Parts: sequence; C-alpha cells; structure tokens
Amino acid sequence: MTVRLEPEHLVLQARDVRFDWADVPLHWIPGDPVATHLINVLHMLLPAGEEWFVRVFKEALPRIRDERLREDVLGFIGQEAVHASSHDGVLDHFQEQGLDVRPFLRQVEFVFEDLLGDRGATGDRARAWLVERISIIAAIEHFTGVLGDWILNADALDAAGADPTMLDLLRWHGAEEVEHRHVAHDLFMHLDGSYAARLRAMAQTITMLTLLWSRGHRFLMARDPLLNGRVRGGLHHLRRTGPAGLTPDRRMVGASIVRYLKRSYSPLGEGSTSQALAYLAASPAARAARR
Amino acid sequence: MIPPDLYGRRRRDPFWVAVSALFGARQRVRYLRPPAVREIRPVDRTMDLVVLEVRPRADGVVSLRLGAPDGRVLPSWQPGCHLDVLLPAGTRQYSLCGDPADRRAYRIAVRRLHGLSAEMHALCEGDVIRVRGPRNAFPFLRGDRYLFIAGGIGITPILPMVTAAERLRADWRLIYCGRGRDSMPFLDELAGERVRIRTDDEHGVPDCGDLLGDPEPGTAVYCCGPAPMIDGVRAAFGSRADATLHYERFAPAPVADGRPFRIELRRSGRVLEVPADRSALDVIKDELPAVAYSCRQGFCGTCRTRVLEGEVERRSPSDGDDGAMLICVSRAADGRLALDL
Repeated sequence: MTVRLEPEHLVLQARDVRFDWADVPLHWIPGDPVATHLINVLHMLLPAGEEWFVRVFKEALPRIRDERLREDVLGFIGQEAVHASSHDGVLDHFQEQGLDVRPFLRQVEFVFEDLLGDRGATGDRARAWLVERISIIAAIEHFTGVLGDWILNADALDAAGADPTMLDLLRWHGAEEVEHRHVAHDLFMHLDGSYAARLRAMAQTITMLTLLWSRGHRFLMARDPLLNGRVRGGLHHLRRTGPAGLTPDRRMVGASIVRYLKRSYSPLGEGSTSQALAYLAASPAARAARR
Repeated sequence: MIPPDLYGRRRRDPFWVAVSALFGARQRVRYLRPPAVREIRPVDRTMDLVVLEVRPRADGVVSLRLGAPDGRVLPSWQPGCHLDVLLPAGTRQYSLCGDPADRRAYRIAVRRLHGLSAEMHALCEGDVIRVRGPRNAFPFLRGDRYLFIAGGIGITPILPMVTAAERLRADWRLIYCGRGRDSMPFLDELAGERVRIRTDDEHGVPDCGDLLGDPEPGTAVYCCGPAPMIDGVRAAFGSRADATLHYERFAPAPVADGRPFRIELRRSGRVLEVPADRSALDVIKDELPAVAYSCRQGFCGTCRTRVLEGEVERRSPSDGDDGAMLICVSRAADGRLALDL
C-alpha cells in the first residue's frame, strides 16, 4: 500500500527562536567574502521588507472573506515578524564587527516606508494600492519560497565550512518560507487574482530586487573592514558562486520565474513541505524555541 | 525623504531621486483612470456532516463517525489533522483518529469534560454537526523509527500515525498511558509487542524521563497528551541532536493570576470587560474580528497596540515600555486601559 504523507492544510504558527551571534565570523563562508556578502544582502533587505509585509497584511485583514485564509494570514504575519527581528540581530552583529551598514539600511527603509508606503491614497485608490502591494508581496514570496528551498538543499555551504549558527538562521527562515509559501499568493488570488496584475508585480519585483541586490553587494564589498574595497562587488559574481552552490543559481531562479508566469502556477509546486518540517524539527534554534 | 548616497558623497542619492520620480510619474498616470476594485467573493468552508455512528470507547469516551449527508468523498487528510467542530456554545478541535484512506468518513473521539464535550456526547446517529477543516497542527513525517507517547485522549492523533508507521514498515513503539484501562479508549485497536500500555493504577504516575528512555539515534518521538506530560517529555528530551521531538503546539497557556479589568476602545468609544481568565485580545476579538494578532504568547509583536491611558502590567519580556502593549498577554495594572483601537 502506498502511503501519502505530504502534510497539507498546515496550521501556521510563529516559533520563538533565539540566536547567539557572538562567535559568528564576519566572513561566515570561510575564505569567500564575495559569496558571504551575496547572501548578507538578504540580512539588510529582510527586516524592513518583512516589517512592510506585516503592515500591509494587517491592513488587508478586514477585507478577507475566508476564515481559513484569515488564519493563514495571521500565522504568516507572526512568522514574518519573528524573521524580521532575527535578521535585525545579524545586522547588530555586523555593526559590532566594524561593518557599518546603516547607509544602506536607510535606503531600504526608503523603499519600504516611502515608495511602498501608503502614499496618501484614500477610498478605492487606497484599496487598489493595497491590492497592488499584495501582488508585489506575492511575487517576492515566490522568491523567498524558492530561496528557502534552495538553502535547505545547499549542501555546498556545509562542505565549504559555513558557520553553523548562520546556516541555522538561514535554513530555519527558509523552512518557514517554504511552510507558508502559499499564503501571499492565496491572499492575492482572494482579493483580486488578475493575471495581468501578477505579471506586472513580477516585472517590478525582479527589477527592484536585482537593483537592490546588486547595489547592496557592491556596498558591502566596498565597506567590508577586512577587504578595504580590494574586490568590486556586483551580481556578475553569481557566474561563479551560483554553479558552485554557494549562492542561488541564476538558471534555477530563472526557471522558477517561468513557472510563476504560467496561469496555472501554484506556490505549492515549489519546494517540499515535508523537507521544511523535517528541518524545523531538527533545527537547533527552532528546537530551543520556548514555544 | 530621499536618503543620502551610500558613500557619504551626496545628501540625496541620485539613484533614488530617479526611482522616486519614476514612481511618482507612474502614480500620476494611474490616477488618470478610476481605480479598478474587484468585488471579493466570500468563501464558506464549513461543512455539515451527519453522525453515522456513535460508539462508547471507554469510561466517558465516545467515538463518532461522520460523513457527508449525500455520501460524497470528504476532503483528504493526513495523520495529525483535526476538525474544528462548531457548536452553539463555541468551537472545539478534535483530532481525526480514523483511517486517512477512508475518504467517506471521519472518525473523532470525545472525552466528556465540560460543557462543549457534553454537547458532543449528547449527539445521536443521524444528527448533523457543522465542522471546518481538516487542518494540521501536528504534522507526521516519513521516517524509519518512531516512538509514540500518548496520554489518555491524546491517543487520538497518534492512532493514524501508528497505522502509517506500520504501512511504512517502520520500526515503531507506542507507550500509551492513562489512569486505568477502563478510561483508556481504543485499547482494542492496539495490540502486539510494539505497544506498551501503562496505567497509573498499576505503575503509579509516570516519570517523563522513563517514558522517553534513551531513544535510538534517528528516532522521531511523537508525543500527545496533557500539557504537563508534553512539558515533561520536552524537558527530558533536552537538546539531544540525534533524534527529533514532535508535539502539537497547543493554544496559549491559560491566564495565570489575572485580575478583571476594563478596556476602552477609543476609536469607537466601546468599553469592554475583560474577565480574570481571558486575555484582552480574546475579548477585543469578539468585538473587532479583524484585529491583528498571531502567536498569542507575547513574542511575535503582531498585536502591539498603542495605549492612550492607563498603566500596563507587562507579562512578556518582548513587551517593552514604548507607549504600547501586547494585548495577547499583558493586562491592566490598575483596572482600566484606553487603547487606540
């Protein structure tokens, strides 16, 4: 008898995790600051970005006309809020090690608080703008799910001797992203569902993420106190780090975008719930969570 | 406010000046047309199910088989799933304890404890109940070696897990604890050398460390039972790295040493009474169903709400003194609070 065991209909709950950064080196992929900082850009984008998700989703709550979706959204919000504060801890640790990331954080805050803030819209315009921002979050969540699945399977990082605390943060976060990967898309489909809006959102998201990632990497490489600007940053480094398995690979991400653009796209097709839950059961931080 | 550039050269980064101009232009073009707003279609996920069979299973425990009125196939589920049963007096969750392969009936078991469960015990064959679900808060994962620890009615989610483990040909063991055999349901379905029945009558109150023992490397431990039992097993499990522990992360612990207080919702002027045994969030949720919250245990910060008047008794380390409070755990220090809601 075949046994179908992929868990479905999950109840999403935040986990109260803690990390101790004291012993994590600045270049936590030993000897590879380029790959380290390609991933570090995420630490700079995520706190402000995820706090923005939380604000937008809270605003959407009164509009939801589906009890189960409301529960999913509430679980999603709690997980995202804990993600944001956990990455904040990494940023404080950067600061302690002499890597001053505040100028870039100000720019990220500008994106999420000014450009993507409420922009003074009222009435139906406010509602249309809310739905548009949710379409952007759904597109971003496609990438967080894909990256979450990638980090859970990134054996090359273990082989390269990457710091275990940092890997646990990234994999705990990645696993929760896989766990809740359907929520933002479900919310967008419930509130609007227009295919054209999904395409627009994906185009904007790709543009913004590419620019922020590239600028963020150049910034970190220039500001790194151990490098003194000897190596110029930029996304061209992905040509090496992607195939080496130290960062996401452009082809893998590109293929996932093609899947997203199909009308039949379902986030549940990206990544494995079982694998994510298995990691969460074994993750040192998630296990030490008091609740 | 356009931010300065990254390297301290300019007060306004030209890159963001350009992006901001583009955004503004796009918004102005957008505003030439009226906004497109779609009607949101309500989704009703409740199901009416017929009680097909009621069977006594132990002292104070009955099992109910539920099916669709027209006999159609029910939504699929996996071990660990529960149903939300909507009763006039409130909603309660019951673990599905039948066979996931049986797509036309769900089975749940109910121990008579208080009001709601008495309502469930009063059900007869042919009665109709409203349910939502299934939902999974206790997911079961494929593995080679399992240790199941169940206490009393906590056997219900474990039963389908045991069946799945058997079908996976995994190496599994079950320790099933209860006060006495008379009070323990489904003993007739559990037999064989992999099952150990442990009663307080014969062996005294169990020690969680003994129950857990020293699981072999690679064991997945699934535990379901009263909260003290789960806490005990968690403590005994410690930080061992070669096995995993799975348990249902229940709703928040009941309010301890709470005093009743009054909340004024400033935006509507409504005044709500919070009894000693409920949280502010619970009471506010009845009045404002769209209020935002998530963990209900004071750590995620989602429900942080501005306090306009009154002293807060802070009940979580995450609840900083910043003119706001976490309404899921914190309470009024002097009987009254005014909130920005």
